[in-house]
Amino acid sequence: MLPNAGSLEGKRVASANQSPPTVVVSGDGDRLALAGALEIVTLAEARNSLQKWSKQGSSRSLDVAGLDRLDTPGALFLCGLRDQGVKLTGIRAEHRALLDLICGLDLKPLPKVESVPHWRQLVIQLGKGAHQARHDVIDIITFVGRAASWTVSALIHPECLRPASISRHIAETGMHALPIIGLMAVMIAVVIGYQGVAQLRPYGGEDFTINLVAVSVLREMGVLITAIMVAGRSGSAFTAEIGVMQTREEVDALKVMGIEPMQVLVVPRLIALVITLPLLTFFADMMGLIGGAAISQSLLDVSPLQYLTRVRQAVSGSDLFVGLFKAPVFAFFITIVSCMHGLRVNGSAESVGRETTRAVVKSIFLVIVLDAFFSILFERIGI
Amino acid sequence: MNVRAQAHAGPILSARGIVNRFGTQVVHDKLNLDVVRGEIIGIAGGSGSGKSVLLKTLIGLRQPDAGEVILNGKPVHAIGAAEKAALIGVLFQQGALFSSLSVAQNIMLPMREHTALAAGEREQIAAMKLALAGLPADSGIKPPSALSGGMVKRAAFARALALDPRILFLDEPTSDLDPVSASGIDALIRSLNQSLGITVVIVTHDLTTLFTICSRIAVLCDRKITVDTADKLRKSEQPGIREFFRGPRAEGAMTARKSSHGN
Repeated sequence: MLPNAGSLEGKRVASANQSPPTVVVSGDGDRLALAGALEIVTLAEARNSLQKWSKQGSSRSLDVAGLDRLDTPGALFLCGLRDQGVKLTGIRAEHRALLDLICGLDLKPLPKVESVPHWRQLVIQLGKGAHQARHDVIDIITFVGRAASWTVSALIHPECLRPASISRHIAETGMHALPIIGLMAVMIAVVIGYQGVAQLRPYGGEDFTINLVAVSVLREMGVLITAIMVAGRSGSAFTAEIGVMQTREEVDALKVMGIEPMQVLVVPRLIALVITLPLLTFFADMMGLIGGAAISQSLLDVSPLQYLTRVRQAVSGSDLFVGLFKAPVFAFFITIVSCMHGLRVNGSAESVGRETTRAVVKSIFLVIVLDAFFSILFERIGI
Repeated sequence: MNVRAQAHAGPILSARGIVNRFGTQVVHDKLNLDVVRGEIIGIAGGSGSGKSVLLKTLIGLRQPDAGEVILNGKPVHAIGAAEKAALIGVLFQQGALFSSLSVAQNIMLPMREHTALAAGEREQIAAMKLALAGLPADSGIKPPSALSGGMVKRAAFARALALDPRILFLDEPTSDLDPVSASGIDALIRSLNQSLGITVVIVTHDLTTLFTICSRIAVLCDRKITVDTADKLRKSEQPGIREFFRGPRAEGAMTARKSSHGN
């Protein structure tokens, strides 16, 4: 955020005033005099000229009667000279109060921040990271448990459900995400289609591009793209919303009123996203197939009707099911991670940003790890 | 009042015909306000009377819908960035210390931007400003989040003073503070005004601050402003002003004024 101060300094100082204040040093080496303005902008100049003059002889006395303007850094400078044994003469009445105030301050240098060697920093960071990771795992497990128990209790006692809140979250995470997710699904299908045609053509199997697109979109890409998009879009919104509520003590206010934050903040989001993500995934699947139809028409000269027949032969119901099955699981973990990080915000604006970043990174990571896990699982059980 | 401050004639700040509107709601209707060099002037008014909007207008953060603010002889919007930084210091209500920098770095930031001082000198000056604001030197390396409410105000004071401004704007300097810290801040404002000759504009509804340290008070009431001394305002028969200055809290604040002036 900070611009490079060095390159700007000269220019800024010059433009500080239309007639820049100046300080003049005169005298014969033994008795020096300062005149003009001794202010923060002329301080460096005054110090340099005084050093030049004092080289010619040791000056023990400085006449400051000619100073028109003096500010606190100037006064601090004069106090420093006085402490070195220089006698200040001819102090004006209006400057005396300022000098007395500044010289009377009990000044201590700013303490230095101890610098840690690089290798030790690495070790410290490694330790902190491991500690943090352990806490994260415990936190996630605890949070999963609490969220699950509150969700179940809300489902058992439907009067505790908050339909207004749930429908708002469904609209925000679902309806508003439709355009972007549809576009992404079409694009992914186009990308896979192009690669498929290019790779399969040498073997004369470019017709199998349709199988490739349909199966990969339905089984993997549709749900994966949707989950990643939702994690970035809605997961970050969850963390930021809850985080800002945390900084403004709204979460504490809920607790004081005897309302469990889990119940009003986490459960509605959880239910909403578990409903939304499978629907969004189905939408992405359909859009992906439409993208596939477009690419077949333009690259393979396969008409949409023929394309539909090929797709029906290529995919089975289980392909669609495998994709849709994963969606609620992803939704569950995205919500858990985002809400957990939202509740971890500790009050500063910085921590809202930090926790949001962590939530998004962690939920996308979890989505991909879980997807790999599901791939292996479905392979083993033969779906 | 300090001689340095009186060296230039004329008001340091002059607002003429200020109109501020939000939609159809008029907050300020052709306000005039002059701030004399070296004085401490309080801007008072109930909640929602537009105190903060007026402050934003005076420091040039908000363009008024009509009227003009003249600061040190120039329209406020025509003053260059560096000149403005050297001319005005602002203490924001929540301190507005940058949370990513330490307290000392906060104070050194304007110096780093606008002066050619070496790092060592900047640190020396920052330590001096901390001491001026009544903070210990070791608070300089702390992040703002590690400070208490009173210390945040003092640190924000030190930063507002970083370039020795001619005029200091304080937005609710004593709000959210315990009485001891609030009195400490009042004393700090008065001593800075007397020793450095800084003109101070305080926006507050703290009656004790208004009565004990302000030489004049500007009351915002019904979209208009009335400027006078505390004693004369207390005799005013205008309903809004009378309510403001004659409640039980006002009596308590007047007692504080008598005792502080007696010392």
